[in-house]
Amino acid sequence: MQEQFGPQTRNFEFTGKGWEYFRIWIVNLLLTIVTLGIYSAWAKVRRLQYFYRNTRLADASFDYHGTPKAILKGRIIAVGLMLLYNITLKFNPILGLVVGLMLALIMPWLLMRSLRFKLYNSSYRGLRFGFAGQTRGAYDAFMKYPMLAGLTAYLLAPLAHQRIKQYQFDNSRFGSTAFKFGATVKGFYLLYLSALAVMVGTLLLVIALATMSGTGAGLKALATGFVAAAPFVMLIMVASVLIVSSLFSAYMQNMVWGNTAVGTHRISSRVPARRLLWVSVSNFIGVVLTLGLFMPFATIRMLRLKLESMAVTSSGDLSDFVSGQQQQASATGEETAEMFDVDISF
Amino acid sequence: MSTSPSDLQVSAAYFDGKTAASRAVKLSAEGGELLLNGGTAELRWPLSEVHISERLGNTPRLLAFSGGGHCEVNDHAGLERLLAQVGGRRNWLDRMQHSLSWALVAVILIVVAFAGAYRYLLPWGAEVLAMRVPDVVLQKMGSSTLETLDQYVLKPSRLDAARQRELSDAFARLKPLPDARLQYRIVFRSSPAMGANAFALPDGNIVMLDGLVDLTKDDNEIIAVLAHELGHVERRHAMRMVLQSSVVGLVLAWYVGDVSGLLATAPAIIMQAKYSRDMEREADQYAERTMQVNGLSPCLLASILGKLEISHLARKAEQRPTADAGKDVHAMDYLSSHPATRERIGLLCPAESSQ
Repeated sequence: MQEQFGPQTRNFEFTGKGWEYFRIWIVNLLLTIVTLGIYSAWAKVRRLQYFYRNTRLADASFDYHGTPKAILKGRIIAVGLMLLYNITLKFNPILGLVVGLMLALIMPWLLMRSLRFKLYNSSYRGLRFGFAGQTRGAYDAFMKYPMLAGLTAYLLAPLAHQRIKQYQFDNSRFGSTAFKFGATVKGFYLLYLSALAVMVGTLLLVIALATMSGTGAGLKALATGFVAAAPFVMLIMVASVLIVSSLFSAYMQNMVWGNTAVGTHRISSRVPARRLLWVSVSNFIGVVLTLGLFMPFATIRMLRLKLESMAVTSSGDLSDFVSGQQQQASATGEETAEMFDVDISF
Repeated sequence: MSTSPSDLQVSAAYFDGKTAASRAVKLSAEGGELLLNGGTAELRWPLSEVHISERLGNTPRLLAFSGGGHCEVNDHAGLERLLAQVGGRRNWLDRMQHSLSWALVAVILIVVAFAGAYRYLLPWGAEVLAMRVPDVVLQKMGSSTLETLDQYVLKPSRLDAARQRELSDAFARLKPLPDARLQYRIVFRSSPAMGANAFALPDGNIVMLDGLVDLTKDDNEIIAVLAHELGHVERRHAMRMVLQSSVVGLVLAWYVGDVSGLLATAPAIIMQAKYSRDMEREADQYAERTMQVNGLSPCLLASILGKLEISHLARKAEQRPTADAGKDVHAMDYLSSHPATRERIGLLCPAESSQ
């Protein structure tokens, strides 16, 4: 690759195709059913490899290295824990609560482990990603801040969300190069408040509509109105949830990735919110009309939109990354890699 | 066939695994080994030391070499020919994942699998499991359900003790079918909300509401309803329904869950309603056999079913005076948890339905 001077921006490309993925998806689904769910671990690897390898940046693709056995192990553990919780809750509610509490206590640690698994098993240009997050940080991000948010009637929810993203991004590595996360708490608050404002506005609109179509006065009018206008109310609520959630996820991705850098390389994200809304709505309709067969096409469309809105701006080319310690460690001791080869996703 | 293997060259990008730098190289095959030519340097690996990623749509193929480093290849046709030279083969999964006809076959097989599981496998599995539930669990389920109902829905019966004993005695004289396993007892209650009704609890307690007793003068008709309820208990319908509907709910939530939780509930209700109708039919058949054993006519059940239907329609019309009752009932048939009463009457008592 020739040396380039001055900042250069490279767009992410996504080359996945709906029909191509449909074939992989449907065979995965069939084999998962035939094997009563066991194949789902192999299906997950194929799905992620299809997505990763179709994601290209500067003429090279990403890759996923997770092994189906590790994922199967993780899934068996996760199913076992959920069964344990549900069964104890049914036959001895107090014991069930104790089990639930213990699950909640180990959850941050499990989340940290699964982040580590996911990043360690991702690579680009032959270099592995990595996750350096520690247990303490995991408990802060996944337990302390969410609890604070709960105790303050969700006033601190945007702060908690920012802390979770900060923990995820600031601890990520590409080779030996660290990610740097710059999205501020203020940005999260602005986004959350805008979403809240729109939802409250919709609710007021619905109440007004119901009161108008109801008979009688006061609460009775509201109650009869909700019954009379039920189809409209449902339509408005579904529409507003779709609109707000797609706009929210577009702005969230732009803020989170747009404020992230890997070493001196800046990442930018410009998901067009209106296009995201269109893709969400048409995906939703497509999936409903085809009883789910449109699902793989929907996934590909959404991924293409989200990935192709991203770019990396850097001075020079991308060769200046070098492999990190993690890689040397994995070459020396297979067992350590094997030990955290458990993927628990929730 | 080419004799010189070096004829075929495939371009690839080589990464050494230590830095992110990419180097353009040419791949070729020679005597079962892969040859990597980087212009200045040449590397070779026996095929056994190269991990070649499977084909996955049109994604780049990745050749990972033992000891680090890998090649990314986008020339799919070229690589296939090269691998054929050194003896690589495509496996069955690879073929399945890339053929459109296999995709169509998979769609059909999935639909058949889902339909078969819904129609046969799940009811069968639930029955096998439900029949093995120990009596202790059934007792506990029954008593806790009755407690909850007594607390929120049911009121004490208005029937006097003599009438209650009369009905209990008549029920005690009913010979159960030889394979019946539980002890049965009538529990008298009333409920303005539920009107004329009777229902069986898993422990053999049959709740009879005053509304039902008021509905007919013929005690044998009441016995017929009780025989139907006996069928529900003996065939473990409550337990089976819990198992079947939770599996249906889970599978639907898994399949549609990504899109919307709301969407998953509507089909679940429709799918569970079919199970419920099947169970009503099974209980009808059970009642029919019980009555034949006791020398009673199944037409008694048909007759009281007709009366129950009229009573429920009247209640519905009372509750929603503005709604067009006839139209309402028609739409409800579709989703109804009980099969159309006329159909049930026809099966139980062909003579009565033809009148």
